[in-house]
Amino acid sequence: MYAFEFERPGSLDAAVKALQEEDAQALGGGQTLIPTLKQRLAMPSKLVSLKGIAELQGIAQEGDVLKVGGGSTHGAVARETKGIFAGLSLMASKIGDPAVRNRGTMGGSLANNDPAACYPAALMATRGTVVTNTREIAAEEYFQGLFTTALEEGEIITSIRFPLPEKSNYQKFEQPASRFPLVGVFVAKYGDRVGVGVTGASEDGVFAWKEAEEALAGNFAPEAVDDLWVSAEGMMSDLHGTAEYRAHLVKVMTKRAVAAAE
Amino acid sequence: MSLDLKLDGRSEDRFGTMAQGLLGTPADRPEGVLKVTGAATYAAENLPENCAFGMLVRAPGQGKVTAVNADEVRAMPGVLAVIRDERMIRNAAQGTANEAPVQGVDHAEYVGQPVAVVVAESFEQARHAAQSLKITTEGSPGPVDPDAVEPEGEPTRTGDLDSAMKDAVHALDLTYTTPSHSSTPMEPHAAIAEWDGDRVSVRASLQMLKYNRNELADCLGISAENVRIQSPFVGGGFGSKLGITAEAVSAAIAARELGRPVRVVQHRRQAFETVTRRSETTQRIRLAADAEGRLSGLGHEALVSNLPGETFAEPVTQASAFAYAGAHRVIGERLARLHRPAAGSVRAPGEAVGVTAFECAMDELAVKTGLDPVELRRRNIPDKDPSSGKPFSSHMLAAALDDGAGRFGWSDRAPEPRSRREGEWWIGSGMAAAFRVNIMMEAEARIDLTPDGAVVETDMTDLGTGTYAILTQIAGEALGLPAESVTVRLGDTDFPPGSGSGGSWGSATTGNAVWLAALDLRRQIAARLDCDEAELTLRDGQATCGNVTRALAEVLGGDDLRGHGHITAGDAFEDVVQSTFGAHFAEVAVSDVTGEVRVRRMLGSFAAGRILNEKTARSQCHGGMTWGIGMALTEELTHDRRDGHMVNRDLAEYHVAVNADVPPLEVHFLEELDPWSGPMQSKGLGELGICGAGAAVLNAVYHACGVRIRDMPATPDKVLAGLE
Ligand SMILES: Cc1cc2nc3c(=O)[nH]c(=O)nc-3n(C[C@H](O)[C@H](O)[C@H](O)COP(=O)(O)OP(=O)(O)OC[C@H]3O[C@@H](n4cnc5c(N)ncnc54)[C@H](O)[C@@H]3O)c2cc1C
Repeated sequence: MYAFEFERPGSLDAAVKALQEEDAQALGGGQTLIPTLKQRLAMPSKLVSLKGIAELQGIAQEGDVLKVGGGSTHGAVARETKGIFAGLSLMASKIGDPAVRNRGTMGGSLANNDPAACYPAALMATRGTVVTNTREIAAEEYFQGLFTTALEEGEIITSIRFPLPEKSNYQKFEQPASRFPLVGVFVAKYGDRVGVGVTGASEDGVFAWKEAEEALAGNFAPEAVDDLWVSAEGMMSDLHGTAEYRAHLVKVMTKRAVAAAE
Repeated sequence: MSLDLKLDGRSEDRFGTMAQGLLGTPADRPEGVLKVTGAATYAAENLPENCAFGMLVRAPGQGKVTAVNADEVRAMPGVLAVIRDERMIRNAAQGTANEAPVQGVDHAEYVGQPVAVVVAESFEQARHAAQSLKITTEGSPGPVDPDAVEPEGEPTRTGDLDSAMKDAVHALDLTYTTPSHSSTPMEPHAAIAEWDGDRVSVRASLQMLKYNRNELADCLGISAENVRIQSPFVGGGFGSKLGITAEAVSAAIAARELGRPVRVVQHRRQAFETVTRRSETTQRIRLAADAEGRLSGLGHEALVSNLPGETFAEPVTQASAFAYAGAHRVIGERLARLHRPAAGSVRAPGEAVGVTAFECAMDELAVKTGLDPVELRRRNIPDKDPSSGKPFSSHMLAAALDDGAGRFGWSDRAPEPRSRREGEWWIGSGMAAAFRVNIMMEAEARIDLTPDGAVVETDMTDLGTGTYAILTQIAGEALGLPAESVTVRLGDTDFPPGSGSGGSWGSATTGNAVWLAALDLRRQIAARLDCDEAELTLRDGQATCGNVTRALAEVLGGDDLRGHGHITAGDAFEDVVQSTFGAHFAEVAVSDVTGEVRVRRMLGSFAAGRILNEKTARSQCHGGMTWGIGMALTEELTHDRRDGHMVNRDLAEYHVAVNADVPPLEVHFLEELDPWSGPMQSKGLGELGICGAGAAVLNAVYHACGVRIRDMPATPDKVLAGLE
């Protein structure tokens, strides 16, 4: 770790201001950023903690939309969305371990946009919206590749809006050591459409599997995707799985998620 | 005075007649409470006053090494020294080396070689400075691909295997590969060195102190009398702490230079590289059998690798020399000299990977001949060692196979693969035999007997294995004392030299030295009672001879007695072949859609002579079987194809089996006394559980879903490719 200053503003405005300083960086739960600092892969001059900001807290249903504060921990999401949004609750309950879930936040996860992060799959499948201190960004514009998003320097995710589906589920194939998804698929069923968000698989980060979305819109059953397949081209390949294997898993996880959706 | 015994011939069983009833019980570890309450101090703890902190710096490439900005780093806050000393070692010494390994910091022979140690006032300053030290290397990397070099060595040939293969009714010629493995013990490699004049004391985490002392002395260029090493508690070693390690040598060098104590702890990622790995292997296995599955010939040839200058070659075929009959044989290793990090002993060197591959091949032969895998092995048990013609000291394979098969319910198994399905899961079972040579080394121990009880001392170590417990039991049994009256002190070169922990020989070898020390005391007690030692009964602090019973304290009459025992292997290890035997059984589920393998249950029946402590013995077997699961399914060190560096040198990328991967494990021990193994009639057990365990899992995978994985580990992508 290199030395840095630490600030803990009490309001969104104060945080935005603090982040205008050159090389200042927001700190959510620190579950990604702190290990990164420890490995000296980042060198911010100042960390601006978002923990004390009331505007970033709160999980609430607003009509047919679920609004999650950017500073909500995975643990809070898992608990508080249980009866409202089963798939999201399930997803949050399986991120990391209790320590990670008690610190890590949805805003942090989406800002980081790790190619194997879970939430991006839910945001993509629901075609949700990222709300920041300056604007609203639709999921399809928000994700721009591995570790890359539409966020500007110093922009803060204040909340995330998910159109609430009738049924949803998330299935991840866990990499045995880290338990991060090797591939994770989120399925969300609405009256007129189905969303399928895939994380961990593509070299371009999270994506919506459009063919499956169409097929499932006609028939929301695992068999609906039987005749579809995902190309291995453009899939990630590493120690934990080849591109072919990941492509194969996309379909398997999709079918499982559809079968389990509630 | 010392009671010396060179083991020739058979030994009499003395423990069958002892009265205390302590040996063989599942006694708790006497140091257990210390460990679970954090009071047991490991190598990096117990910081002396004024201790400085060192951090090793690794070579980022191969070739000529230059430290670009050493002066700048020396000027950093808190930095005391940037040391690049030619006595620093290239990699950990091999087990029982007894001399310095290759030394030097000017030329990096593998990526990750320690080439400097930076010392500072605090750990954080040292780490910061070490990370700031810029090291460059010049020169092109040496060969790193085992198939790209001409290997050394030739296998041993007996008879004519080629003809036997041609004439055989069933012939198999198969190649298996296993990747490099890492020991990754829980406790990191750590040392604190402190000088007093010309004498250095080192608290370290090491397995074999009497050798480590000589190795460290040789590294430093001082006499061994001036070296003291203490390792009272070791948090796992598995071979990675057999020989002197880089942090101990650099801590000693730095402490000397600075005139104050220095601690060096290796980062997990450093230990992956600087401590010896298990070599990758390519194993060609040939089996020639008649119509009844009886082997007429077998071939087991292995290609392994190591750095230039290392004597060790993974002895892959060690057990194949005696495991099964078959007159025509080609057995042995070839060694490729590579510039990957050094290879050395990792738990059950040889058998861990050798028996595993061979037992997979035996399973393939069972399928080919249509024989039950248990029956195939039974038919090929040799009546004497097929390589040397020597008899076995005892042979328990048939008994282990029968015991295990009965308990596992093997007879219920449908012979055909893909016989059972539950939802998306294929369910199957597999088995494998286990073999591990029994080795005896040299060891000494002493016991001081006072009215308060007995104190046992030897420089033997306890790696978490249960040495404290077992030596307590041996001394207590022989001297008629309850466990509370026996204190065992270990891990200090000031004590008599034990065998060290490794090669499964610790408890059998050092245990016999403790027995001899106790026998020495029994003779002294008998003399005081004017009776023959064989007539003496010691129990609960009472000595009985004939119809006279007296309290031991009274017999001592105010004197303190000392017994000293010294054991060495003799003809008993030349005239016969000694081995431990076992049988593994596993049930797995294989997902038809993802290729995942889940081990559902595992059972092992093992024979290792007298079982000294059922609890610690069972734990050793649990550990071995768990390693077998890791070897079969997940453990794989990946070397960069360009420069050989270890790509996945941490536990997030190199996955050892953890709770979620391990089902309930059942362990059974067979009643056995092996008179050739020594007065305790007990053989080494620490490594038997890993030998063949992975094969039982892989054979079960085949039986479940019909997919044969010969390139270990059986990761889901490989299994799935076979399913499609
Ligand atoms: C052991 C372990 C296992 C894990 N397993 C999983 C898993 O299975 N699935 C999964 O998805 N994740 C997993 N994670 C990652 C975890 O979800 C992290 O919490 C998450 O990636 C980052 O959230 P954070 O709040 O901790 O962000 P931080 O680490 O604090 O910050 C991450 C980045 O986001 C920025 N940031 C933080 N908050 C905001 C905000 N409100 N607005 C704008 N920028 C912001 C920071 O500046 C930084 O760049 C795991 C982590 C660990 C340590």
